[in-house]
Amino acid sequence: MSTLRKKARITSVVAGIGIVAVLAAGCSRGGGGGDSSDGPADASPGITDTSITLGITTPLSGATAGPGTCTVAGITAYFGAKNAEGGIEFGDGKTREVKINALDDAYDPQKALANFQQLEGEAFLMTSGLGTPTNRAYREAAIADEVPQVLIQTGDPIFSNTEESPWQLGFVPIYQNEGAAFGELLASSTEDHKVAILSQNDDYGEGYVEGFKEAIEGADNIEIVDELTYEATDTDVNAQLTELAATDADVFFNAMSITPLVISSLLKTQELGWLPSWFLPSNTSSPGAILTPGNAVAFPGIYTVAFAQSASAPTFAESEEGAAFLSNLAEYADYPDVPAFPHCVWSYQIGATLEQVFAKMTEPTRDDFMEQLRTIKGFTAPLMLEGASIDTTEDGQPAISGVTVQKYNGKGYATAETFG
Amino acid sequence: MAQAAGLKNNKWVRLAGILIVVVLLAVAPLILPEFANQTVARIGVFAVAVLGLNVVMGYTGQVSLGQIFFVGVGAYVTAYGVNNDWNIVLVFLLAILIPGIAGLLVALAAARLGGLAIAMVTIALPIVGVPLAKRLSEFTGGSQGTSARFSDAPEWTGLFDDQWQLYIVIVIGAATFLLTRNLVRGKYGRAFGIVKSNEAVASSMGISPYRYKVLAFTIASLIGGVAGFLYMVVVQYTSPETMSFGHSITLLASMVIGGAGSIIGSLLGGAYYVLAPQLTNLIDPNLTAALQGAILLLILFVLPGGLVSLPRLWRRKRRGARPGDPAQTGTVPTSPPPAPQNTQSEERGT
Amino acid sequence: MGTFVQLVIDGLSAGSIYAALALAIVLVNQATGLINFAQGGMAVLSAYIAYAFLQLGLPLIVAILAAIVASFALGAFIERFLMRRFERGEPDTAIVVTVGLLTLITGICGWIWSYNNLQFPSLFPLDSINFLGAVVSVRSIGTTLVIIGIMLLLQLLFLRTKLGLALRAVASNPQSASFSGLPVGRLLMAGWGLAAVLGAVAGALIAPQLTLTPGMMDTALVYALAAVILGGMSSPIGVVIAAWAIGILENLAAVYVPFIGYDLKIAVPFILIFVVLILRPQGLFGRKDVVRV
Repeated sequence: MSTLRKKARITSVVAGIGIVAVLAAGCSRGGGGGDSSDGPADASPGITDTSITLGITTPLSGATAGPGTCTVAGITAYFGAKNAEGGIEFGDGKTREVKINALDDAYDPQKALANFQQLEGEAFLMTSGLGTPTNRAYREAAIADEVPQVLIQTGDPIFSNTEESPWQLGFVPIYQNEGAAFGELLASSTEDHKVAILSQNDDYGEGYVEGFKEAIEGADNIEIVDELTYEATDTDVNAQLTELAATDADVFFNAMSITPLVISSLLKTQELGWLPSWFLPSNTSSPGAILTPGNAVAFPGIYTVAFAQSASAPTFAESEEGAAFLSNLAEYADYPDVPAFPHCVWSYQIGATLEQVFAKMTEPTRDDFMEQLRTIKGFTAPLMLEGASIDTTEDGQPAISGVTVQKYNGKGYATAETFG
Repeated sequence: MAQAAGLKNNKWVRLAGILIVVVLLAVAPLILPEFANQTVARIGVFAVAVLGLNVVMGYTGQVSLGQIFFVGVGAYVTAYGVNNDWNIVLVFLLAILIPGIAGLLVALAAARLGGLAIAMVTIALPIVGVPLAKRLSEFTGGSQGTSARFSDAPEWTGLFDDQWQLYIVIVIGAATFLLTRNLVRGKYGRAFGIVKSNEAVASSMGISPYRYKVLAFTIASLIGGVAGFLYMVVVQYTSPETMSFGHSITLLASMVIGGAGSIIGSLLGGAYYVLAPQLTNLIDPNLTAALQGAILLLILFVLPGGLVSLPRLWRRKRRGARPGDPAQTGTVPTSPPPAPQNTQSEERGT
Repeated sequence: MGTFVQLVIDGLSAGSIYAALALAIVLVNQATGLINFAQGGMAVLSAYIAYAFLQLGLPLIVAILAAIVASFALGAFIERFLMRRFERGEPDTAIVVTVGLLTLITGICGWIWSYNNLQFPSLFPLDSINFLGAVVSVRSIGTTLVIIGIMLLLQLLFLRTKLGLALRAVASNPQSASFSGLPVGRLLMAGWGLAAVLGAVAGALIAPQLTLTPGMMDTALVYALAAVILGGMSSPIGVVIAAWAIGILENLAAVYVPFIGYDLKIAVPFILIFVVLILRPQGLFGRKDVVRV
């Protein structure tokens, strides 16, 4: 009996290895490992005369699946509409259909790398992925394999530094820029202010605070009275709010990216009787999803920074562009609700930006793409705010560097020229 | 006489089997496509991690939900050493030793507590580990993580990067597996088994449960450190997310799905850890969670003993259901089923 | 002083959230001997079911009651057709099955209702009152009172009713229980069903504050498990007190112990567990488990 058992065990081991090998061999790649076969006229992977494939690795499950799903939905909606009109015209004269291959990485860097390795052979470029660790995980591999990792949804500055990341480009403003924009507004105020800070304990929160502090350096009318952090996994931040409320600061600088925590903070601060002016980051300032449930009108002012219109503002659906966006989202991206996260609009704009680059490409190669990518200037993507535009020519800055400071007016946002 | 013939078959079949495996392992990286190599390398990384978990959970019966913490520490030590240009052999040794020492310390404290308490203490490791990794940003790069490229294929080998990385994983992984296999087949393995089944009996036999639990836990953390080193070889980036609690749970699930208390089960568990997300992504990227849950439940429903018990199930089905066969399912068990216990101990020496 | 009282009150309110889930875990454990990692997931699913009823136009109380009934059926169903197979086998396998169940339920919720944060109305008004110089919301008070009520009910159930005794008998020795004529299968289903009901109540209480998402209870689950171990697996009162202690001490440690701070405050429950278990392995209020060798 032991013979049969061992024989069966060895057979199953060998069979198992065989099965794995066959399965793995089944997902074969064209071309050898490591070297990208890009001569001047040879097409890169992922592009043919009639189609081009974009790859996305982003969290579609887990805690960040809400914004993550949006990062796919917007760009799918944009190109879905364009494909229905016949496709995108490229600079080399060919009209191509845009296909999108999105994979879930559950915000796990290891899975993001695995997805990249799977996609790099069949996708022309990687785009629109959410998250700093996930994008960082395959950044070096993308550089080594010369695969564009562009217009990604993270404000990490490393992606926009051409020397460190020659094949990358961020889309959303770096966190420091957003924090600095509000800091500048505050510093230009004529009154004295005491600022309390609550930030998420990661590069996102740190970036905002860094930018804010840099902008108010030297402004002697501003004093930071307390600075606390919280974890993205916390169920509430009541203890932090209690401590900060005791400082009685008149400005509350928030770098929070978790929707329920922002809502509960808005409510709790009112309960505590502390009514400062707030700053909220661009991705958690949605009027419909956050400010209304949080009864934000109780505060003297809610400020945020933005470059795009907010999909949940009442005027959005009435505008032509907004209505088209919502209907495309529902029809092509299987996303029937009004988005609660700004990433849907941002992803849509990424699609529009890519279309601009495609229109300039004269060769179907990744090299040419990267060259043309860096030439977009003054492009007003759909759903942008007045005065905001895409500019990819500046080294060290992502596609969007300028943000407008806005103030909540009870329904939506309006540009704020001064504080107060 | 039949016995002698059986032994002879056994020896030749075994040698042939081993030879096939060795040849496969040596040749596969050269012929498989790049993505396959990368996938197999990642499977190797997590197979080693699951192996460590098996030593303390599958073989010694102590619930550990902190294995990923040791993997993460190993990865961080590797990244730090590489980025400071230390000798790679030194880095490898430290990547094993530092998690091992951490495991030893935790075990010395926790092994005195009962079952569920050890589970909670081990849960604390990844849960406290993540904010700790963020706080110690000088060493760890903070929440942005740290990259360490050191496993590019050297010029003289003429290999592609993915092949070189796979060879490293195969060599180190196979060595770890062989060492562990010898360990659990020897007297330590038997001691672990006794501690698992009945601590009172163990101590009455002169086997100190406390000492062997500490030993098992330390070995698990050493192996976890190896997995962490290999993780950096293959992924070349680590961040606090590497050691998040969710991964610990998935490692536990992988161990059970592969087959607890089984060396080959650890390999299968590593395969599950890596392939399940990729497979569900191929089916529908929007439904990965639901599909993974369904796959897990399906596998365990059909094979409660894990994938490694597939040959056993096959054999049982071939023999046919005889009266009194303990493989009957679906009924409310009103009598204690002796079969699961016995068959588990049958497989233990694998 | 105001800050201190506020922190204590907020800690109590956070602890009540953990306690709600912990009570459900205790119930399943007392009834079937398993640790159900999917308890939080089932609670979330119950909350989504209530949400679905709300969307159909039912008033809040009715929707919650309907969800409670549905949850009982769901819990019983899961026990009969999924968990039954694993209850007598290796405990590790049973735990992993509940993990798989959690993943599946989370995925199904995300598939049907998406991963967006949904607003769930609160049973209690949104006012707050002043108490000893601190502010406490009516919602927190309501949640805490409901938890206390459930805790007392469970305590009564286990110690004073035949059903409770039967459940515990089935969990500790199914063979003898069966020989004594107890309907083992139906009792197991009842145990899971009741736990699911508890989860549904917990979900309905907590969803207004945390907003409804598939992963809503994930963090609370860890705290709930900590409370269960700390308080003792067999004592509803124990786990509630443990959960409150965890909530309060966490807040106090974050503010008054700078070394721990806000990022490491999650270590507090585990330090507590460690200290308590060294001195009292069965938990603060648990009964010592005697096993025949």
